[in-house]
This record gives sequence, structure tokens and C-alpha cells, in this order.
Amino acid sequence: MNRTFKTDCIGYALFAILLLVVIPWAVSFDGFALNTYARYLALGMVAMALALSWGYAGILNLGQAVPFALGAYIMAMHLKLQASAHMPGGLPDFMGWTNVEALPWFWQPFHSLPVTLIAGIAVPVALAALLAVFMFRGRITGVFVAIITLAFLVAVQLVFIEEQRYTGGQNGLTGLAPLQLLGWRVDNYSTQFYYLVAVCLMTSLAIGLALVRSKVGLVLKAIREDASRVRFFGYDVARYETLAFCTSAAIAGWAGMLYVLVLEFASPTYMGVAFSLAIVIWCAVGGRESLVAAALGGIIVNLLEGRLSDMFVDGWTFFLGALFIVVVLVAPRGLFGLVQSAVRHAGKTIRSERGGARARWLATGMGARRIDNGGR
Amino acid sequence: MDAFLNQAFAGLSMASILLMVALGLAIIYGAMGVINLAHGEFVMLGAYSAWLLQTSLGLGILVALPIVFLMVALVGLLVERGVVRWLYHRPLDTILATWGVAILLQQLVRSVIGSESRYVAGPTILDGNLVLGGVVMSNYRIFLIFFSLAVVAATWFLLKRSEFGTKLRAVIQNKEISECYGIRADRVYALAFAYGAGLAGMAGALITPLVSVTPSMGTYLVVDAFLVVIVGGVGSLLGTVAAAGMVGEATAMFSMLMNDTIGRIAVLLAIIFLIRFKPMGLFPDKVRR
Repeated sequence: MNRTFKTDCIGYALFAILLLVVIPWAVSFDGFALNTYARYLALGMVAMALALSWGYAGILNLGQAVPFALGAYIMAMHLKLQASAHMPGGLPDFMGWTNVEALPWFWQPFHSLPVTLIAGIAVPVALAALLAVFMFRGRITGVFVAIITLAFLVAVQLVFIEEQRYTGGQNGLTGLAPLQLLGWRVDNYSTQFYYLVAVCLMTSLAIGLALVRSKVGLVLKAIREDASRVRFFGYDVARYETLAFCTSAAIAGWAGMLYVLVLEFASPTYMGVAFSLAIVIWCAVGGRESLVAAALGGIIVNLLEGRLSDMFVDGWTFFLGALFIVVVLVAPRGLFGLVQSAVRHAGKTIRSERGGARARWLATGMGARRIDNGGR
Repeated sequence: MDAFLNQAFAGLSMASILLMVALGLAIIYGAMGVINLAHGEFVMLGAYSAWLLQTSLGLGILVALPIVFLMVALVGLLVERGVVRWLYHRPLDTILATWGVAILLQQLVRSVIGSESRYVAGPTILDGNLVLGGVVMSNYRIFLIFFSLAVVAATWFLLKRSEFGTKLRAVIQNKEISECYGIRADRVYALAFAYGAGLAGMAGALITPLVSVTPSMGTYLVVDAFLVVIVGGVGSLLGTVAAAGMVGEATAMFSMLMNDTIGRIAVLLAIIFLIRFKPMGLFPDKVRR
């Protein structure tokens, strides 16, 4: 067990305690507060998904909101169909207003919950895989990935707004039924629901950590540092990048499904440029080199937003903008980087004191031959 | 046929606006490698400056243009000195930091001036239309097309024929060596950034009669302008002109064949393909870096 693995385990355990014990206890199991926190956790989850591709593989995906919103829409479609069961032909209300005669074929499968749950992850992954293969086979990197994903995001959002007959357009999907999960009617203001979201976050985090701790994770980190060199070693760089991109999309789609359960509507703002860049902000604030830190970043920034925007409506946006500039300029590695360097600094101080004693011991001539590797 | 020509003119008019917005970006991105997401906010500030000068001092857009240029260039200078200059060696981070700047500037305008949309009257000399056969062309839009080309010419002169341009090109090619020859690279960068911001401000002032002025108007423009710069090829002025023309015309034509939104989507997808297969743009700069 090496040190970074130990750090990961400690971080994961502390995070689990925070989510499963500290937060519910701090709000004394109040349903409304837990719903708010469930929202933060879903957003933390998508920030964590971005850290997987941005922090580990160096793929800055400015369109991270696309898989998130797709997951959200798919879940919302299922719930909308449940809510419209008593309507003529089971048609959702907005389709009636826009003269849609029959339920379109791509809405049909979402009557079934298992299909919805699978599609909520599979559809974002399929789309991400398409885009990833398209980009990474062409060895597109860095800034160009950022621009392509940004343009893709804008295009997808335009499609969803334009196809009002099928997607609810600007209004999105509202008036959703509560989810029926194995006979349990999910109440999004209940403690159980909070734990459902928390467990999903912990599970996805475990999956993410398993990926980055594996050999794949090591190759991804190598690609981030120098893609050509990894290619010379015979690795198929595009395949690894696609894997990271798709895993990230899967978790984002999952987070999107949870997000709809929390908020009870899906809206095209979920795939807006502002939202997508906000995900990047959360990830950067927490620290993109650590999955736990990125998730925490999403939770902290949204928590602050919830608190501060109540007090100062305009002030919050100023704060957000300033926060972003300061983080990039002063702490490009986020809170994680700050904590890490603080810990290292503390460790160094302790060690240098020990080192002093050792130096005196060496000075007596007892260990003169070992002086070369004595320092650390 | 007339419908086609009218649409072609609309595309040309759109291209001229895109060109002015993208030109500033072409310098900032092409010369310095800074992905400036606050560029749309410079456009927005230009539009608001024009509105402010018109409502408070009664200045027309054309008279106010130099003042707007200087005002927004000053903002650009402050942004460069305060934020961007620390990030020249981290291009991806400039995306994030300038997005923060964009949020700040937008909120600043929203808090001080308010978020309702504002309207600015166009210059009265340029009222009316030029009618050629079945094609109706607004005089103001014709003026914009020629003006944008004039701005390109001025920029070309500045970059290729002036002392400042020579210094800038030297710094782009090799910062360290130019500094050895006594060029103050940080000052050159700052001025180039300010010039790019000023151009964006001027574009903002000029489009005020055509669009409504809101704090978030820049967000839509910046994505388009970026695509124009990338399509045109980094560091190539002529490429930017050609790309602006292509994107403008393509959007107009797709819009005529399908509808506005589908047209925009088609153009976005086309551009994604273009970046994938020609990431250096259609007209890449031949200069070795």
C-alpha cells in the first residue's frame, strides 16, 4: 500500500463520513435541507466526472453539460410519461399544445423504468463515444478539444430548444410524476432520497477511483503529461482517451438523472454554456487532480451559492467571477493543491527537525558513508 | 432569385459583424495564444458605451466610435495587466480566468445599468435603403461591410507596416530573443490585447442599431467569433476575413433552406468537422514558431 493510495482511502472515508453522517446530522434530518444538499451532491458528482477526463487525462471538456442534460432529459421523459398516463393517448401535455398526434417512437421505450435507467447512462455514453472517437482518432488535443466540445454543446442545446414538439423547447419538461422505484414512491424531500443520492455519489466515486488507480489510470496520467511519448511506447492513446471521456459521460448522465429527481424538472439551461463552464469552475476550485476534491468543490461552491445568493443577489455573481480568477491565478490546483502543499510543508518542517538531529549524528563521523541518501 | 440575393446580402452583413468581433480575437488568440472568453463582454461594453454616450451626451454612434474604442481598450488593458499576463504559459487556464472576467463584467453592467434591453438609434445619414432590382439593402449594413473591410486594412497596416507590428511579430516568433534586442515584450502584449479589446468594443458600438443591447449579448457572439478565428487559421488576417465571409454566408444560406436554428446547428457541425480535419484552419500562418 503506497502513500497516494492511502491518501485516496483516507479521503474517500472522510468524504463518506461527511456525506452519510455529518451533513444529515448537521441539518437534523430536515427534509427540505436534505433536498438542497441532494442537489449539491448531484452537481458534485458531475464535477467529479469532469475531473476524471480533465484532471487525469488532460481532456478539457467544455461540453460536460451535454451528458448531464441527456441523463436529465431521459429521466424526465420517463417521469413525464408516468404523469401523462391519464391524458388522451398518454401524450404529454406540451405535445398536445403543439399538435403532435401520437407519441413519437423515441419516447415509447421510456414507459419502462429499467430501459430509462439504462438509457440514462447508455445514451450519453454512446454520444460521447461517437464524439471521442471522432476527435481522438484525429489526435485532436488541448484547446481544439475545448472548442469542439463547446461548439457541440451549443449545437445540442439548439436542437433541444428547436424541437419544441418533442422536448418542450425553452420550457423543458415540467409537471413530472414522482419516481416509482421497486414499489417505493420516491419522495425527494425524504431522508431516504438523500441517502439514495449520497450512495450513488459514493458508488460512482468508487468506480472513478478504481479506474484511476488501475493501470489505465496510470496510462491516462502519462497521456496528460506527454501523449506522443505514450504513443511511442505502443499504447493506443485514442482508445484510452475515449475510455476516460466515456466513463466521465456515464457518471455525468447518472448525475443528471438524480438531478431531475431532486428538482422535478428538466430544462435546456442544463446544457447551457454558462452551466457547462460552471462545472469546470467547481472542478477547478476543488482541485482537478483528485476526484474527491472535485466532488467536494462542486458541493462547496454550490453550498456557498445557496447561502450567499440569498443574502446578496448580485454580490454572489461577483463573488463567483472573482473566485474563478483567483483560483486560476493563485491556486491553479484548487483546494486540493493548497491542502497538499500545506501537508507537505508541515511534513518537511517535521522532517527537517529530525534531519537536524541526524546531521549532528552524522557529523560525529558515525555514518559518514550514508550521507548521500541521508537527506530525505 | 431575389430571395437568394437578399439572403446573400444578409449573410454578408452578418459576416461583416462577425469579422469585426473576430478580428480582435484573432489578434488576441493568434498573437498571444490567449483564449479570451471575455471577448463577448468587450463587445457588450462597447455597445453600452455607445448607448451611454448617446443618451447622456447625445453623441451619434459614428462620432462616439473613437471614444468607445479607447474606453474598451482601457478595460482590455486593465484585464491584461490584472489577469491575463500571468497566464501566457498556461493557455487552457486563460479560458477559465477570462470566463471569470466575463462573469464579473456582465454582472457589473447588470448591477450598474440594469438588465433591461437598451436601444440605440442608428446614424440618420445612413437611414434608408439601396434598392438594386429586387434586392433591398439597408445603407447602414452596406456601411458596416465597407467599414469592417477598412478596419481589416488598418489592422493589416498596423501589423505589417508599423513599428509596433514589427515588434509584435518579433515577440510572437521569439519572446526571449526580442527582449534581448530591447523590445519590451510585456508592453507589446498589453498593447496588442488592448487593441483587440478596442476592436471588439467598436464592433459592439456598431451593431447597437441592429440588435438590442443586453448584458448577456456577448455570450452568443464569442462562440461564433471563436469559430471564425479557428476556421480562418490562427494568425492569418486574410483567413479571418475569408472565414467570417464563409460562416456568415453559410448561416444565411442554411437558414434560407431550412430555418434559422437548423442553419446555425448545421454551421456548428460543419465547423466541428473542419476543426477535426484541419485544426490549423483553412489558411494557416506560414511563420515558424
